[in-house]
Amino acid sequence: MATAWPEKDDNELLSLIQNGSSQAFSTLVERHTERFYRLAYRYLQSREAAEDVVQEAFIKLWENPGLWQPARNSKFTTWFYQIVVNLCLDLRKRKPHTTLDDGTQLIDEREPIDESMIRAQEQKMLEKEIAALPERQQMALNLCFGEGLTNQEAAEIMGLNLKALQSLIMRAKTTLKTRLKSIL
Amino acid sequence: MKDERDEKLDLWLQQRAVTPASADLTQRIILQAQQVPQRKSVSLWQSVRDLFAEFHLPKPAYVLAGALAIGLVIGFSTPQYNETSANDVVAAQNFLSADETVL
Repeated sequence: MATAWPEKDDNELLSLIQNGSSQAFSTLVERHTERFYRLAYRYLQSREAAEDVVQEAFIKLWENPGLWQPARNSKFTTWFYQIVVNLCLDLRKRKPHTTLDDGTQLIDEREPIDESMIRAQEQKMLEKEIAALPERQQMALNLCFGEGLTNQEAAEIMGLNLKALQSLIMRAKTTLKTRLKSIL
Repeated sequence: MKDERDEKLDLWLQQRAVTPASADLTQRIILQAQQVPQRKSVSLWQSVRDLFAEFHLPKPAYVLAGALAIGLVIGFSTPQYNETSANDVVAAQNFLSADETVL
C-alpha cells in the first residue's frame, strides 16, 4: 500500500491521529514499523515476539493518542523507542525463556558455504553472549550499535545520563571481548 | 585507543543480522487498530462543558427556572413576622377560661 501523506512529519501525523485519523495512523505505522521491529528483534531474538511487541506498541498509541504530548516529548521516535523498550523488558519478565529463532535464516546465500557457515556460527555465539548480558547492557548495545543512535539519544530513551550509558556500553563490550576471546 | 579486537567487535555489533518481519506486519497493525476504538483524553474544562451539555434545556425552561429562582430568593429575603394582635390573645384566653368555669 502506498504511503499516504509522505510530506507530513511525525508531529503532524500524531496530531491528526489525536483527532481520530486512521489514515495518519497508517502512514505512521508504514513509516516506522521496520525500525521498531529491528530493535525489538535484536533484544528478543524472536520474530514472533518482536512483531507482537511492535503491534502492541502501535495499538497502544492508537487507543490512547493522548499519551503523546509534543510539549513534553522531544521527538516521536525517541519517545516511541521508550515504549518499545519497556514492552520488551516486560515481555522478558513475563516470559524469561523466549525461544531463539534458529540461525539458519542468518546465512547469506551469496557467500561460499564455508564462509557463510563460519559467519553464522560467529553470529550465533555473539547473540548467545549478548543474551547473557544484563538487560540494560543489552539494550544499550542494541540502541547504540543496532539502531545507530547517538549515545545521548540512547541515554534519553533509557532514562539515564550520558556517563551511565557509556559505562553500560563499556562494561558490555569488555564482557563480550573476554567471552568471545577465541573468535575475536 | 581502539585495538583490532575492539574494531571487530564494533563491526559485529553493527552488522547483527535481523530476521525480516512478516510482510503483512504493517497491514496487521493497521487492521487491528481499525477494530479498536480510540480513547480520547478529556481535559477538566471539557468534561465540565460536556456535563452541562448533558443537561441542556430549551429556552422556556430556563425562563421558568429563572423565575422560580428569583421567587425563592425574594421569598427567603423577606423578613417573617406574625401580626398577632394582643386582643386576639386575650380573646383566646377568655374563651379557654370560660370553658374551665363550666367544668
